[in-house]
Amino acid sequence: MLRTTSQIIGHHSGLEKKSAEGYRALAERHPEHRDMFNRLADENHRHMARVERAYRLGVTDAFEVGITPNQLDPGDYALEEFNGKSLSEDVATALRNEERVIRFCLDATKSSGELLPDLPDTFEHLVRGKRKRVELLRSLT
Amino acid sequence: MVVLEEPIKGVMELRNYVDGEWVESEASETRDVVNPATLKTIAKVPVGHREDVKAAVDAAKDAFPRWRRTTPLTRARYLMTLKQLLEENFEELSRVLTMEHGKIIDEARGEVRRGIENVEMAMGIPSLMMGYNAEDISRGIDEVLIKQPLGVFACVAPFNFPFMVPLWFMPYAVATGNTYVIKSSPWTPLSMIKLTELIDEAGVPPGVINLVNGEVEPVSEILENPGVKGVSFVGSTKIGRDVIYKEAAARGKRVQAQCGAKNFLVVTPDADVELTVSSLMSSFYGNTGQRCLAGANLVFVGDDQGFMDKTLGIIKERAAAIKMGYGLEEGVQMGPLQAEHRKKRVLGYIESGLEEGATLTMDGREFSCDPYPETCFLGPSIFEGVSLDMTIAREEIFGPVMSVLTAEDLGEAIGMVNSSSYGNAASIFTRDGGTARRFQYEVECGNIGVNIGTAAPMAFFPFSGMKDSFFGDLHGQGKDAVDFFTENKVVIQRWP
Repeated sequence: MLRTTSQIIGHHSGLEKKSAEGYRALAERHPEHRDMFNRLADENHRHMARVERAYRLGVTDAFEVGITPNQLDPGDYALEEFNGKSLSEDVATALRNEERVIRFCLDATKSSGELLPDLPDTFEHLVRGKRKRVELLRSLT
Repeated sequence: MVVLEEPIKGVMELRNYVDGEWVESEASETRDVVNPATLKTIAKVPVGHREDVKAAVDAAKDAFPRWRRTTPLTRARYLMTLKQLLEENFEELSRVLTMEHGKIIDEARGEVRRGIENVEMAMGIPSLMMGYNAEDISRGIDEVLIKQPLGVFACVAPFNFPFMVPLWFMPYAVATGNTYVIKSSPWTPLSMIKLTELIDEAGVPPGVINLVNGEVEPVSEILENPGVKGVSFVGSTKIGRDVIYKEAAARGKRVQAQCGAKNFLVVTPDADVELTVSSLMSSFYGNTGQRCLAGANLVFVGDDQGFMDKTLGIIKERAAAIKMGYGLEEGVQMGPLQAEHRKKRVLGYIESGLEEGATLTMDGREFSCDPYPETCFLGPSIFEGVSLDMTIAREEIFGPVMSVLTAEDLGEAIGMVNSSSYGNAASIFTRDGGTARRFQYEVECGNIGVNIGTAAPMAFFPFSGMKDSFFGDLHGQGKDAVDFFTENKVVIQRWP
């Protein structure tokens, strides 16, 4: 279970990294969409950096850090591997993964609201960006 | 189990930093610095010698005339460079803190951040140390106030915030043109070693900032050396009042001694339960209760037994779920006490509470810290049925122990707070503005929280404190720090 702020941040970074790795693989597998998948992977890294920065610049020992009342189960947000036989199958997997990351960001928003002032805004901002990615992916199929 | 990589490998042999060089202490004896979670020795720190301080003060005195003439903006730029290096080394500094102290990584990062905030604040020194003037105080005569540095200042650092506390003072001291000697805590000296490495890397001129490790002898020399113009201290009231304040002030030095505490957190029946409980958890159990702003006594106001039972019920539920362990392990929420003797001290208070008739409704001695050695670990405890005459309600425990008291009304609660010899912090949890205003108006404490469990002032405010919690006039941080480290010179001038 994710009990602390640093765990939430760490898990988010892990999701973004794994998502980026998936898009890099898709870029190789579907060269006709290489640029787009690489852009999505780059964006994953920017999202990761944005959350890590919000945490690092806002963390304080003074207020409520470390003891979050809402524990998150990392198993609820596990990302799927890309094993599709076609572009449409891979895109379907990508969409499911995006939705899971969005759900994690929304749940983290609720949890981190108790902990750090800037994290909820950052996660919400990310969700807006990720919803645009969903639209982009849907346009491929 | 995911454990973050430890930045310290093996056993470090610590040296002092004097006049821009890393030098051996004159003392041959050393003390082991032990990671309280794993009990591994991570460094050997010299016990220190008077000659170490003399050398550091001499270097700081030599550096003072040049540093004073370095422009405030240039001095600020050294701090800007240091700030950049602190950001680049943020994670390593935080992990070192966890290793030497035991606090969890979130708390360590929070401490590093708050230390950096003071460097950022002091970077504004070109504006902060401006004086003021009045034209024509008489015909053709002007009066000007100039703020000038005094010379060499020193701080004696505590074990509980070994990185942040020296930064309540040092950045302001050097930004205003003084030179400085840091005496690190012998229990937790490593984060100061890392900070000093960054000071060296930032190119701060030799002698401007010096680091001395050690125990009693270096402190005695700081207090007695005529070259030291002022001393900043954070630690117990006994040492702060009876040694630091007394000895330094007797020699005409400036003193700011921030000392012990017994902080009351008062809850009224109209309080927001969720917000209150979250704040209380962090206040009582954060940093394993080892902070001078930690909650100690929880006071419920009024006779709403249902509200009290509900609130305490949630507190117990949350406290019981706290995961104890090594602060570098992901998911750990509470680390060990910093050393075995500190745990024994807290255990003594738990025994005292039982002997004096309080009811221990949550026993921290029964918590597991598996797979770590239990030597320094102690879980959260809750005493109910506590009265003000009990030792656990009066004395500073400095551990994860909550004492629950009740008051008939707000007046009685405020009276309880003010009956304490300490005056560091107090908080009230309420939705009523009038209640909050009366509390902040009447309570004799330096740091007041309204729906805040740990009323820790930001770098741009003084870290306040009253009564037995503070000895001196000007506090650390903010404008108080600028005033502490400068002399006001008044010039009255007429040009014929």
